[in-house]
Amino acid sequence: MGGSALARYIVRRLLQTIPVVLGVVVLNFLLLQLAPGDLATVLAGEAGGAPKEYIDQLRQRFGQDQPILVQLYNYLRNLLVLDLGYSFRQSAPVLDLLLKRLGPTLLLMGATLLISLLVGVAMGLLAALWVRTWKDNVISVAAIIFYATPLFWIGLMLILVFSIKLDWLPTSGMEDVVAFNEGFARVVDIGRHLVLPTITLSMFYLALYARLMRASMLEQRGLDYVTTARAKGLRERQIITRHVFRNALLPVVTMAGIQFGSLLGGSVVVESVFAWPGLGQLAYQSLFARDFNLLLGIFFLSACLVVIVNLVVDVIYVLLDPRIRIG
Amino acid sequence: METHMQMALRGTSVRTTLRSIVLGAGVAALTSAVAFAQKPGGTLVQITQPEPPNLAPYVSTAGPIGQVTAKVFDGLLEYDFNLKPKPGLAESFAVAADGKTVTFKLRRGVTFHDGKPFTSADVQFTIMEALKKNHPRGISTFKEVTAVETPDETTAIFKLAKPAPYMMMALSGYESPMLPKHVYGAGDIKTHPNANNPIGTGPFKFVEWRRGEFVRLDKNPTYWRAGRPFLDRVVVRFIADASTRAAVLEKGEAHIAGFGAVPYNAVTKLTALPSLEVTTKGYEMMSPVVEMVVNTKKAPFDNHKVRQAISFAVDRKFVIDNVWFGFGKAARGPISSNFEPAGLFGAGMDFSTADRVDRANKLLDEAGFPRKADGVRFEMVHDMTPYGEEWQRFGEVTQQALAQVGIKATLRYEDVPKWLKRIYTDYDFDVTSNFLYNLADPVLGVHRSFHSDRIRKGTVFVNAAQWSSPETDALMDKATVESDSAKRGVLYRELVSKVTEASPVIYVHELTFPTIINKQFKDLIDTPLGIYGNYANAHRQ
Repeated sequence: MGGSALARYIVRRLLQTIPVVLGVVVLNFLLLQLAPGDLATVLAGEAGGAPKEYIDQLRQRFGQDQPILVQLYNYLRNLLVLDLGYSFRQSAPVLDLLLKRLGPTLLLMGATLLISLLVGVAMGLLAALWVRTWKDNVISVAAIIFYATPLFWIGLMLILVFSIKLDWLPTSGMEDVVAFNEGFARVVDIGRHLVLPTITLSMFYLALYARLMRASMLEQRGLDYVTTARAKGLRERQIITRHVFRNALLPVVTMAGIQFGSLLGGSVVVESVFAWPGLGQLAYQSLFARDFNLLLGIFFLSACLVVIVNLVVDVIYVLLDPRIRIG
Repeated sequence: METHMQMALRGTSVRTTLRSIVLGAGVAALTSAVAFAQKPGGTLVQITQPEPPNLAPYVSTAGPIGQVTAKVFDGLLEYDFNLKPKPGLAESFAVAADGKTVTFKLRRGVTFHDGKPFTSADVQFTIMEALKKNHPRGISTFKEVTAVETPDETTAIFKLAKPAPYMMMALSGYESPMLPKHVYGAGDIKTHPNANNPIGTGPFKFVEWRRGEFVRLDKNPTYWRAGRPFLDRVVVRFIADASTRAAVLEKGEAHIAGFGAVPYNAVTKLTALPSLEVTTKGYEMMSPVVEMVVNTKKAPFDNHKVRQAISFAVDRKFVIDNVWFGFGKAARGPISSNFEPAGLFGAGMDFSTADRVDRANKLLDEAGFPRKADGVRFEMVHDMTPYGEEWQRFGEVTQQALAQVGIKATLRYEDVPKWLKRIYTDYDFDVTSNFLYNLADPVLGVHRSFHSDRIRKGTVFVNAAQWSSPETDALMDKATVESDSAKRGVLYRELVSKVTEASPVIYVHELTFPTIINKQFKDLIDTPLGIYGNYANAHRQ
């Protein structure tokens, strides 16, 4: 397989995503219309009451006096030139708001994905190697406990222990707002703030990956090719690292790709507990304020992210298992 | 100064500019003398919940906005704890005898954060173009203002169609922020680029807003009060989770939080810490009152005896002690007791009598709703205010209280937009709990709940009970234009007794909020606006 075939594949897959993303946008747009109440009443409500003239004035400004299909048409037309509209509640263009949140979101998601995959895969691997010993039991029970504990509770307990009692780490936020560090000190500061949210969010996913990895390892070890490799005279360590491990990793990678979307959702809880300025919180707030322009923008961005990540996963498949062909 | 202001308020025509200049200089000398006594420097971290949607207090009065912008913008006036006006950007003001002309003398040498001077043209623009047209409450506050004349740079003359004494209570930097005309006057003010980059004359300058994290405000070195502010910086943090907010205060990462940012159930634990203290001062210009609005257009609630019975059934003391952890005071009518010093408070019918349950039962019998075989007279739905857990507890407590008098209440909890639509647009409810602010004057906060001209479908937080009477309308109309506070007091006492008699709204209690303060900092809450103040006098211990 040459590099050009891969490039062609990626371009084709990207083209295929366009109707998918558009479909998501249209569906979201129509679904949101079903929610009762609108941004104008919320804004007036936040204001502690406002005259009717004010509310009518708002509706007209938001274009809500237009029929729904006209609103949809306008939205799609603007979307084609990446104009995601204006958030009247936040008094800022939607794209600006999203881009500012994207960095912290990707940082938290990336760190979580990395930690949960590394630790999860390692735990699964060890559990499989030590299968049916007490060590396997300890790992499996730990994984179940991580999986079953609510994220917000883990988060609060970590704050209580590591921040308040031990005073090792900051409670929340992304950086120290009294010091306002710069340069390398700022990187270290953000890193320190990242520790607790990443651990919290990773707990859930690493448990999942550990369970999956263990099962997958055990399944692969019983297959014929392992017997063949053993007959060929390979040592057990080589069999595990070169053959079994690589094959066992495939389902975990698939799962990680699918989970990426839900990682956005799971982070709403973690973001609010740790006051992390990510997209999840923004989505949550804008839903309750009926700030549909902003909400649609977030949906659009997450749809794009999920599609891209799944493409990356497909490419990783090829690298992990040369037998899988693209085309 | 005080007497000058009071005389002005009573409507005596006082136009002694000379005197106010002298007095103004005296105040300046006094403040700079005090300045040396306080330790300068330090960063104060405030928690505001939720995050403000924008920083444009001239188009939106969403609660959290003012907690940030009141530090950036000044108003023409400030107020003391008795709700008496004090000089702000205006050194003095005088109300003409007919109440239709108000003349403000502005402070000289005040500059905006961008270095441009503050003049009467900015006042003219702020009132006529910004607030009167766009501010959700300003539309009514400045309704009577027909023009703002600017004979010179330091004089602004408000011309009114009718006297509007209540307007004088709405000129703080929180309620009516003075904007620079050269900034906000360019372009459409509703979608102005400076909506999230405010420029004012206040003690702190806006530096940065990182969404989802914080707003940073730095000291304004050219603030017009010499030697102020003492703090170098104010950072306002946004933390969505209530338990985390408590943890942040406990650890000292933030120093002040108010207005429900601290859950009531965490207050006891936090104030047990040696580093923290709690106050309930600083809400006197808000005066939130917990109430139950009754749909008086719907049977059986169209009968005032039924409404009175519901009011008798609610055990106000139990609600305050058990739902709001003791933070509150039983309400005696639509007007908060915070107006007692101003002489506008009145106590209406007493619903907390010892025999209140018997009286409620008797009223319901008289109204023609006897108990049926199962002990129930009629059923109703109670829509709970969708503002959090206390309101659900409040719903449960009233459910039990109503059961005692034979009314079977079902509870309903929806999200804010859906609830607003149900109550204020569709009128599709029996009874809803709610809390409304009295604000700085009854005209601004109280009349809206039961004046006939506030029965407006689709407008939120107005007369959803859809009740009114010609007598009460007349009383309110008179009180609106009456500038003598003693006469207003008489009108309001009559109003309160008539309204509680009819009980279109059941006034449960005056809500007080705990503000948690780190003891390192002093003089944070020094006005009736509390956390909506400007921290010009705040300093480290």
